[in-house]
Amino acid sequence: MLYYVYTVILAYVTFVIVIEFLKEKKWRDQIAMAMVLTVFILRLLQIK
Amino acid sequence: MFRRHLSTIIILAVMAVAGVISSIDFCKMHQPEELFPSPYLTKVGMLSDYFDGIKGTNGDTEVYLFDSGVDGGTALVGGGTHANEAAAFLAPVVMLENIKVTHGRVFIIPRLNNSGFTCTDPMEGFPDHYEIKTDNGIRKFRLGSRVTNPLHQWPDPLVFSQYPSNQQLSGFETRNLNRAYPGRPDGSLTEKVAYAIVQLINKENVNIAFDLHESSPEVPIVNVIVYNEKYEDIAMGAILGLEMADLQFSPETSPKNFHGLSHREWGDYTKTIPFLMETSNPSMGRLRGETNVELVLRGYSENYKQAKESGALRIAYREESGEPIEHRVGRHIMGFIELINSYNMYYPEMSIIIENLPDYNLIMEKGVGKFLNN
Repeated sequence: MLYYVYTVILAYVTFVIVIEFLKEKKWRDQIAMAMVLTVFILRLLQIK
Repeated sequence: MFRRHLSTIIILAVMAVAGVISSIDFCKMHQPEELFPSPYLTKVGMLSDYFDGIKGTNGDTEVYLFDSGVDGGTALVGGGTHANEAAAFLAPVVMLENIKVTHGRVFIIPRLNNSGFTCTDPMEGFPDHYEIKTDNGIRKFRLGSRVTNPLHQWPDPLVFSQYPSNQQLSGFETRNLNRAYPGRPDGSLTEKVAYAIVQLINKENVNIAFDLHESSPEVPIVNVIVYNEKYEDIAMGAILGLEMADLQFSPETSPKNFHGLSHREWGDYTKTIPFLMETSNPSMGRLRGETNVELVLRGYSENYKQAKESGALRIAYREESGEPIEHRVGRHIMGFIELINSYNMYYPEMSIIIENLPDYNLIMEKGVGKFLNN
């Protein structure tokens, strides 16, 4: 059960960061968000 | 509009490329290396044949059977309980690729905890594979984790309550196969794998079973044969035989109150005679320094040399030659041979006779690669 709670939270946080990433205009901040997103997306895909 | 999103598109593209490249590399860890059994192999089954609750999971693994067709006893050799212990995996592989059984049957499971081979231990800096040169080329082997992959069993509890003893251990140990016996069919993946192994032992009437391990040179339980107290005579007989071959093994009785370990629970929950053997692996110790393939295979560490020479610690480490993979694999195979010989003396009507396994001196002289097929 905890596994699914974790996955839902991670999916929600990923969604929020994607929205912020698309809104962000400074490329340096976009890179920072992309680095976080890469890990989150790989984790959601069970690759990391 | 396009200019405004240009940096977003570029960063997304770079992120996607980096993600795909690293994913391909990462996913390779889930592909087990090919093994080449000796021509005397009778059957390859799966562990899930004994408990279908692990079918299709990363806990399922190959079970190799060598059946002589002649009445006798049944042995089980298991390696890879802890996938970061290279010699404890390579020794069963060498057995698998050379063994001939002339009386009784031998089951070999090189990857008892298959899931552990799909990742490495975080923060330890271990290489994820090593290579061994053979007569026909190079064989690549995975070096994995001590425990089940957290992708396959998550999350860890803060405190692990061992089933059925209720012994309290660190949460991390919930993924340790050698704390999970006898296992349970509705437990975690690690407990299910443990349950499947116990089912195999019971259903196949395994008379004698081996669980091969390695440990840090500074750990007290190293270069030992651990035995369930009911079978002390067999262990002592083997240790005498090994002394004759100039190999020193310490006898260690399985602690009665330390639960979940193979030498304890296989002995208590099945009719098999269990033994666990440990060799000294400097790449696993706290003093090891840089952790690389050379340390895993050559087993030579200046830090351990200094520590041994200081006399401050009791360390199982040979100052001059280190603990090379040939020495560690050779010890496991000799331990197996002598324990089988000792067992045969006590149970002649259920004897197991094995041929074609290289002895310690031969492995030291020619190297492990000489006894690997490809």
